[in-house]
Amino acid sequence: MDAPSVISLSDVRKTFPVPGGEPLTVLDVDRFEVAGGEQVSLEGRSGSGKSTLLNVISGILRPDRGSVVVDGLDLTRFNEATRDRIRADKLGMVFQSFNLLPGFTALENVLVAMSFGTGRPDRSRAESLLASVGLAHRLSHRPAHLSIGEQQRVAVARALANRPRAILADEPTASIDPAHQQQVIDLLRNTCREQGVALLIVTHSPEVASQFERRIRIEDFNRAARAGRPEATGGRPEATAGRPEATGGRPATAGGGRQ
Amino acid sequence: MTLFGIAWRNIRQRGLNSALTVLSLALGVALVVATLVTGNVVQQAFASGTGLGYNMIIGAKGSPLQLVLNSVYYISRPIENIPWGVYEEFLPANRRDDGRDGRFASSTAVAVPICMGDYWQGYRVIGTNAAMFDRLTRGGGRPYRFAAGRNLRDENYFEGVVGAAVAARYGMKLGDEFSPTHGADDGPKHDPFKLVGILERTDTPVDRGVFVNMEGFYLQDGHAKPIDDDKPNKPAEPGSGQTAEAGIPVDVGGTKPLRKIQREVTSILLETASAAGLLPELTAMGVRTAINEGRDAQAALPIGEIRQLLDLFVRPLELLLLLITAMVVVVSAVGILVSMVGSTLERKRDVAIMRALGARRGHVLSTVLVEAVLLAVAGGLAGWLLGHLLVGAIGPWIATNAGVSAGVLSAAPQAELLLVPFIVGLAILAGILPAVAAYRTDVARWLQGPG
Repeated sequence: MDAPSVISLSDVRKTFPVPGGEPLTVLDVDRFEVAGGEQVSLEGRSGSGKSTLLNVISGILRPDRGSVVVDGLDLTRFNEATRDRIRADKLGMVFQSFNLLPGFTALENVLVAMSFGTGRPDRSRAESLLASVGLAHRLSHRPAHLSIGEQQRVAVARALANRPRAILADEPTASIDPAHQQQVIDLLRNTCREQGVALLIVTHSPEVASQFERRIRIEDFNRAARAGRPEATGGRPEATAGRPEATGGRPATAGGGRQ
Repeated sequence: MTLFGIAWRNIRQRGLNSALTVLSLALGVALVVATLVTGNVVQQAFASGTGLGYNMIIGAKGSPLQLVLNSVYYISRPIENIPWGVYEEFLPANRRDDGRDGRFASSTAVAVPICMGDYWQGYRVIGTNAAMFDRLTRGGGRPYRFAAGRNLRDENYFEGVVGAAVAARYGMKLGDEFSPTHGADDGPKHDPFKLVGILERTDTPVDRGVFVNMEGFYLQDGHAKPIDDDKPNKPAEPGSGQTAEAGIPVDVGGTKPLRKIQREVTSILLETASAAGLLPELTAMGVRTAINEGRDAQAALPIGEIRQLLDLFVRPLELLLLLITAMVVVVSAVGILVSMVGSTLERKRDVAIMRALGARRGHVLSTVLVEAVLLAVAGGLAGWLLGHLLVGAIGPWIATNAGVSAGVLSAAPQAELLLVPFIVGLAILAGILPAVAAYRTDVARWLQGPG
C-alpha cells in the first residue's frame, strides 16, 4: 500500500439482536483498508455482510467494537449527526437500482447532496460534474425522463458532489442490462481516477470484479462470513435468515483482503 | 438546496395531492375569515352605533329592544304608537299651541318624529320630516348627502326620498312616483309620493328606507287616529281655508294637514342637549327617567340595547359559527396529516437516500415539518384571500339586508392575526407524525439490496 489509507477498519465487530436468540454476528473483521485513489472490488455471497460493511464504513451503522477510520477520522468516536456530516463530506455513495430522488431534477439531485456537506451548494460545480458524465444537456430532467444509464451517471455525479475521498458503490450495475453495465463501470473507474478518489465497489458480477487490480472476497477478511452462518444484510438479519445462499461466488483472487 | 427548496420539491412531487390539501385548507380558512370579518363588521357597526345621530329613542311602552330594532334598523314590528303630545314635549314654544316650551324642550338638540306601518316593494316606509336628514347626522357628525335631488320639504306633503339601496334595486330616478301600501306589501295602496331625492350610500339601515313627508303620510287612509268629536275624521280638503295648527307646516299645494288631535307617532329619535348646568349624560338620564316614569311612552338608549342584543344573541351565535368553521379548519389540517402520512412509504425511500447522502435526522424532520407548514401557509394565504373576496362578494347583500358595510378590505385584524399561529400550529401538529416517521427511517433497511 503506497498511499495512506482513506478507509481503515480494525477489530470491527457488528452484531444484530435476534428476537429470543443469541445476537447474530454479521461482521467480524480484524483489519480492512482502502488506500487513497485505490480501486477495489468486493465480492461475496448474499448475506455475507457486504452491505453491512458499507454501512459501517459510511457511519450509517455503528459497530459494537473496533475502529472505523475515514480520512483520519474515527467514526466510532462521533455521534450520529457528526458521522452523517463526515459521510456527506468524505464519502460518495452510489446505490444499486437508481436511488435518485424522483421529484428532483438531475441538477437538483446533485445540489441536494451538496446541501448536506459543510460547503455551500455550488451550482456551477454541480453543472460541471453532470457535464463531466455527459449530461450537460439533461440538467433539468427528472429521473423518470432519464434512461437507466443516464440515471446512474447522475448518481455518479452526485457521489462526487462534495469532493469525497472515497466512493462506496453497492452493486451499481445490478439493475442495468449487460449492454450498459460496462459503461457504468468505466464511468465510475475513470471518474474516480481523474478525481483521485478511492473506489470500493460491491458486485456480484465476476466480469466486473475481474477488471479491478484489487479484487477481494469478503469471506477473506470477515470471520463471520467464513463461519458460513446465514447473515444479515443492511442491518436486518431477520430479513435474510434462512435465505438460500447465492451461487455466484468465486474463489478469492490473489491480493484479496488487505488484512 | 435549502430545507425550503427540498420541502418545496417534495410538495411539487405530489402535485395533485398537495393541491387538494391546500384547497381543502383554503376553503376552511376562507370560511373562518369570512365569519370573523363579517362578525366583526356587524359588531362594530352595532356596537359603535354607526349611523346613529341620536342617543335616545322615545316610543310606546314595551320591549326597548323591539323599539330600537324597529326605529333604528327598520326590522321587527312597531310596538304601538304614542300620542302626538309626547312629541310636542320636545318642541319649543313657537311650535306649540300653548305658546310654552315643551317639558323637555331645553334638553332637546333635535327631535325627529317617525311614523311607520306602510311598505313599498318590501321596504319600510317611514313618515318623517326634513329634520331627519337636515338636522340628524349619520353619526360621527357626518351629515346626510344626496346622490341626486334634495331633502324632503315640510311644506311639500307628497314628496319622498329613498335610501341608496332602494334606489339602486329599483333603478329609481327623480320625479318617479311611488305608492306605499298600508300595513303590508299586499295592503291597500295609498296616494303616490313624488321622489325628490336619493340619498348617498351610508352603509346604515337608512339605505333601505323609503322616507315620505309625514304630513302626506298622515293623510293616507287608516293613518288618522279615530276621535270622538263632531268634526269629520278625515283630512280637510284642499282650499278649505282651515288654519294650520302651531308647528304644522302649510302645504304649498293647499292640502290641509291632519289635526294634531288625530296624530300619533311611532317613535321619536332624540338627540339630547345639555340642560343648563348639567352634563349631556345627566341630561339624557333625566329625560329618560322622566319619560319612563310616565304612562305614555318609554325612552330607550339604542347603544345600550344594541350592546345587550350583541351580548345575548349575536356574540354567542358568532362564537358558534366560529367554532363550526374552526372545526372545518381542523378537518383540513387532518387532511394535511392524511396526505402526508399517506405518502410516508414513498417518503421513506427518499428519506433513506437523503440520509445516506449525509442528511442528519434533524434535516429530514425539519424538511417534513417545513413541508407541512408550507402547505398550511399556502392554504392559509389562499383561504385568507378567498375569505376576503367572499366578504367582498356578499358585502352588498349584507349592506342591503343588515345595513352594515362589508367589503374586501374589511377586516378583523386581531382575530385574523391569531389565525396565523393557529394554522401554523395545526400544520406542525399534523406534520409531527410523518416527521417522526421520517426521523426514525431505518436507512440501512430502505437502501439494502439483495446482496
